[in-house]
Amino acid sequence: MKINIITIVLVFITSTLTAGGPWPQPKGKGYFKLSEWWTVFDQHYTDSGMIDPNLTTGIYNTTFYGEYGITDRFTAVVNAPLFSRTYMNNLRSSTTNEIIIAGESLNGVGDIDLGVKYGLTKPGSNIPISVTLGVGIPTGNPSGGSQGNLQTGDGEFNQSIQIDGGKSFKLFNKNAYLSSYAGFNNRTNDFSEEFRYGLELGIGLFNQKLWVATKLNGIKSFKNGATAETVNSTSLFANNSEFTSVALDFNYYITRRVGVSISYATAINGAIIAAAPAYSVGVFYDMK
Amino acid sequence: MKNFKSIFFLSLIILASSCIEDDFVEDMIDPQIRFTSIIDTIGFNDTYQFEHIFLNNIGEIEQVDAIYTSSNPDIIPITEEGLASGLETGEAMISVSYETEDFSVKDSLRVVVGESTVTSLQKTSGQIMTTTFYELEGDFEFIETENGVTLSIAENYKASTALPGLYVYLSNNKNSIANALEIGPVEVFSGAHEYQIDDVGFDEFSFIVYFCKPFNVKVGDASL
Repeated sequence: MKINIITIVLVFITSTLTAGGPWPQPKGKGYFKLSEWWTVFDQHYTDSGMIDPNLTTGIYNTTFYGEYGITDRFTAVVNAPLFSRTYMNNLRSSTTNEIIIAGESLNGVGDIDLGVKYGLTKPGSNIPISVTLGVGIPTGNPSGGSQGNLQTGDGEFNQSIQIDGGKSFKLFNKNAYLSSYAGFNNRTNDFSEEFRYGLELGIGLFNQKLWVATKLNGIKSFKNGATAETVNSTSLFANNSEFTSVALDFNYYITRRVGVSISYATAINGAIIAAAPAYSVGVFYDMK
Repeated sequence: MKNFKSIFFLSLIILASSCIEDDFVEDMIDPQIRFTSIIDTIGFNDTYQFEHIFLNNIGEIEQVDAIYTSSNPDIIPITEEGLASGLETGEAMISVSYETEDFSVKDSLRVVVGESTVTSLQKTSGQIMTTTFYELEGDFEFIETENGVTLSIAENYKASTALPGLYVYLSNNKNSIANALEIGPVEVFSGAHEYQIDDVGFDEFSFIVYFCKPFNVKVGDASL
């Protein structure tokens, strides 16, 4: 039962990478993406929402994301951090230059999320609505390093349900869309449950070769889990993390099906979470 | 395939930048010397061996050739090594000092010659205060005991439960836990409680430091 602010960043990552919207993939079609996501932070939001410094910490994830249409209404979803690296810097004396606390790193597989999206409305509906059931599998390492404070996963199974809705329309005579979601994340091992929400506005430019999207994502904790006071205090337990983040995504189709993506995301408020931007670059294959 | 190769190599470049680097802590302090064996009365015709510690510019104990002196050698003579005698009724200032080309440090103590040598147990008090935005506050008493010291924290103490791995230390540098004594993990987050610390001198440390161990972040401190 160990988690730290790093893990919360991973949640933050997932939210910004997997916003597939309410549109299930058509049967036999899919969307696949390989991306590199990273953040390096030397400050974080405290439990009171203020910003405090911390030892510089870096997290790098090489992630495969995929959606595949099993039927026109059922879509399988996977988000798999195939390689996750986290590290903390050395802490040195500015007086003697000697290392006070040696930096450490941890490499491995991250936690894998699997899900199934079901279209509640018929394909081609004017206002599509879908529901996604997801499970988080603790394939990562929740307690690496000499202090057990380095993680590539949170060490807990979780189950989530999410409802997405959206609408396609014309904006400045261009194809555009607006989608939103709300979800509930049930977590095990005394972690607090979470309410997740998001809003996304996207527009296709240059004959829809370039899609630009702005996103707002958030997590509100139910604060019904354990804290350092209620668990063995020697465990590295932080809970009740929250954030609101904004993101900007650029997806450019190099060919009809293959493209590259770049994204930037940052928390605008939060609690027990990194206070630094996150970046992602990737290449995708869209079987449209 | 070309694009996947590109992202693969780009990932390698990004990952190559993910190396462990250095953060620095501002840990310079003024060197100091202080008595660690304190008496206020030395017995007539008794002898007493004074002791001291010298702390360098990062609060680390260093062995140095300090010199003891007495302001009134006719009443309390003392050797350069700190062995004092009570010769006459009266009082004297006993000092220990150390000097280099760069600095000089000194500590002094008023000692009276009386019927017998008196070594009373010492006690101090103060307030623990947060140095971050995490809640941490409370009064404390630091009491010398036969076996060491007791850190007694008052009823008005409160600490955030949001931080994992909060530990208490005794240190001579409030910005660093290098050379500090780890008392143990924080297990009480509100109200009175105590830490018994054996084999520690009352004057051995200058600060109480609260430190989030897994994230290497200082959370609060108090002066002893």
